[in-house]
Amino acid sequence: MSILIGSVLLWAASLTIARKLWIEDREVLREALRRMVSTSVFIIPRVAVGLIGSGFLAELLPQDNIAMLFGKEAGYMGVMLASLFGPLTPGGPFVAFAIGAAALKAGASEAALIGYVTSWSLLCLNRDLVYELPVLGARFMRLRWLLALPVPFIIGALAMLLT
Amino acid sequence: MKHQTPVSTGHKFVDTGFIIILAIAFISATLVWIQKGQNVFWTILVENIQFGLALLPKIICGVFLACVIPLMLPREKVQRWIGPESGFRGLWAAALAGIAIPGGPSVTLPLAGGLMIAGADLAAGITMVTAWALLSVNRTLIWEMSFLPPHLVLLRVGMTFAVPVMLGWMVRRLQLGQERAP
Repeated sequence: MSILIGSVLLWAASLTIARKLWIEDREVLREALRRMVSTSVFIIPRVAVGLIGSGFLAELLPQDNIAMLFGKEAGYMGVMLASLFGPLTPGGPFVAFAIGAAALKAGASEAALIGYVTSWSLLCLNRDLVYELPVLGARFMRLRWLLALPVPFIIGALAMLLT
Repeated sequence: MKHQTPVSTGHKFVDTGFIIILAIAFISATLVWIQKGQNVFWTILVENIQFGLALLPKIICGVFLACVIPLMLPREKVQRWIGPESGFRGLWAAALAGIAIPGGPSVTLPLAGGLMIAGADLAAGITMVTAWALLSVNRTLIWEMSFLPPHLVLLRVGMTFAVPVMLGWMVRRLQLGQERAP
């Protein structure tokens, strides 16, 4: 059901923009569609493999352990533990989201998932060592990490109250 | 500057990340087949293929939006707004730019560096990188919405929406403190 609502909203936004561009600037619309095709070719295989893989992985994950470590009963400790795993996740967004989706299916709490996604996106160790350190320098990365470090734990705690 | 495509076309079709998820999928599938039997294997496979097909229209829409938004964005104005004297308005502009940047780290981080050389301050740079990391439209629409339940995505986005500006504001406060220190 939630997929349906999301789809309807996205389609409404897409069609509104497409209609506006069809009237005002077809060249931009053509370029956007061209990029849409080349991007989809890149993304759809990853989502497909990620979805199917996370389905199998969820079946294998010891549900008792996942629920025990990251479930509602684990409380804030589960959120903290999940937040600690975020920065250690290798690979692109589909890896992190596939792992998150699998853990959710296996009984992790929604707050733990939000803590995990927040810490992974803010402080991805792999990404920051490869790109941030060489491009923006040690001072930038140190300051950003220092300021961002408490954020997943605070957001995770808020999420516990709201979910 | 030339507009970037949401997923840099310089990316190889098969890269390390893809190999990692392929390996996870292949190993998990094999283990399910061995440990839980063929029936469970086929049930999961069919279930997830159906789920994927239901998601497909949403993914294509997300990709279209991610591609068309940067084409409609007034880039030069965004850059003009992120000066060091720009106050909260500048920090919000930096955050919005970070959210709208359609590239991966290889595009975004050099762009932030370039903007800082061109006159954006450290606070605006950190705000922009944080906003991109937390709230990138591209990643949220394409990846997060595809994998996670939309109400959780909305909750996470809502809760973290002000974080980039708060971090930028803290950087400016820290710098002020340093200037005042004897």
